[in-house]
Amino acid sequence: MTCSDVQRVLPEVFDGGPNGGFASEFDSHVRACPACSDLLSDLKMITSEARQLAATDEPSPRVWLRIAAQLRAEGLIRDPELAPGQPVLVRPSARRRWSAWWLAPVAAALVAAGSYVVSHKPAPQVAQREAPANPGNSAASTKTAVAETSEVIPAPAPVPPPQQVARQFATPTEAVQPLVEPEPNAEDQQFLSVVSTRAPSMRATYENQLKAVNADIRETQAYINRNPEDADAREHLMDAYQQKALLYQIALDRIQ
Amino acid sequence: MSGLLMAGLRQARIGHTAAITLVLASCLASAAFAATKEYRYTVGPHANISVDTQYGAISVKPGSDNQVVVTATFQSDNVEVDQQQSGNRIEIASHLLRGTDQQTGQVDYELLIPPDATVNLRSSTGPLTAERLHGDLTLEGAEAVVNVRNVENGHVHVRTMRGPITLIDVRNGHVEIASISGDVHLKSVTGPLVLASSGSGRIFYDGDFGSGGDFRFVTHSGDIEVLVPADVSAGFRAHSMLGRVQHDFPLKPRHSQFSEEVGRSFVGNAGQASSEVVLRSFSGRIRLKQR
Repeated sequence: MTCSDVQRVLPEVFDGGPNGGFASEFDSHVRACPACSDLLSDLKMITSEARQLAATDEPSPRVWLRIAAQLRAEGLIRDPELAPGQPVLVRPSARRRWSAWWLAPVAAALVAAGSYVVSHKPAPQVAQREAPANPGNSAASTKTAVAETSEVIPAPAPVPPPQQVARQFATPTEAVQPLVEPEPNAEDQQFLSVVSTRAPSMRATYENQLKAVNADIRETQAYINRNPEDADAREHLMDAYQQKALLYQIALDRIQ
Repeated sequence: MSGLLMAGLRQARIGHTAAITLVLASCLASAAFAATKEYRYTVGPHANISVDTQYGAISVKPGSDNQVVVTATFQSDNVEVDQQQSGNRIEIASHLLRGTDQQTGQVDYELLIPPDATVNLRSSTGPLTAERLHGDLTLEGAEAVVNVRNVENGHVHVRTMRGPITLIDVRNGHVEIASISGDVHLKSVTGPLVLASSGSGRIFYDGDFGSGGDFRFVTHSGDIEVLVPADVSAGFRAHSMLGRVQHDFPLKPRHSQFSEEVGRSFVGNAGQASSEVVLRSFSGRIRLKQR
């Protein structure tokens, strides 16, 4: 029995189990095939949840408001952008087998974030600071730049060479805040967690590649903070985000 | 005493022989398993063919105009081939059973296809090879080495995580290559649009940039090296934010909003500048050299 045979007879299985004609073949295939086994357990779970839903009445909105208020008071949820009184219902993770479907929107979101960063022009200059004498050819100098740019140094800068004029200006504090956490964020952790589960042998490789891509994003962001007029750098930041999206997509293709 | 010693030696020898026999037997068993299956399909013009395998090589070459012949070589019986034809579309995928690893799950595919077919190949380990075709090609693989040769009039899309990518004699199609850390080697690659990007991989181009094409090579820390003939006709713009930029080519100045910074960027035309070439890196070195 092949996977397509299993999919064909699944409705019959759910109507009352496979008949004697193919029961043993069905069982042995499902035991040997992770994909069909996962599909079967998903369908069983959905069926069981659906039965429970049918027997449940929707509680009144007041109940949700009280629960949400209580959770906020306890600091368990905090999302100021949500409409008031609209709580988030989080399903317990143990009730649902983890899947990698979320990687696709995350990859898309990375590209969108990159687009935003690239298209978001800094606001008019509000402060000046002394630019580094040399843009620096080492990664170490660029990696510290995020912290540097948040400082506003009011002292007048020395007369710079022409190429450094653009680097003499500081960006407003709000414009220099990176949109991506410098350390692996929650999505990255989840991503690595899924890779560990589904393809343990690839974990170290994906982790190294992810670190490298994140470092590229940070380096570029730091450079933009020092050189906000550099259009190529902004375009490069978009490319760095696309690289990260590519990494997610390659993983998504392999571990689903 | 000597009898005891002799008995011990004999026992050790027997154990040694048994171990060697076991190793040999397992080697022979795995070598002996390599099984081959052939699948044949009849298709019309512009067929669409997809092959997806977790582990193993995929090689595609032109065959007859209406036949697709797939030869799959298995390393164990722990993997099945799911294959399906829907009209002009053929989908082939390796299907790993439980407990399969990279060695036992490997399936190598060799395909003979109509040259005008659209081809999608995917393998984590590769290598992926396509040659002498003129349909659209998409090749994807995390670690896969990718080789494309003698392809024309079709679009070529390649994505890898760290597998190196080589394209030779690819003409008149859109070429889009993206890798996280793989090297990209392009020789005689031309077309209306050629994009190549790699994070830490190196990009090497050897060719004349054709006529009327847009070329754009981008790396983060990898070097970009471009080798062109003296009669190349292209407008060049190169910029490395933190790396060095060099050219030994007599470029004519041109009007550009792009401001040059000595050692970090240059802009200029060669010949009639019929193609546009953008070379950009964050910290890699960029070199434009005359052949």
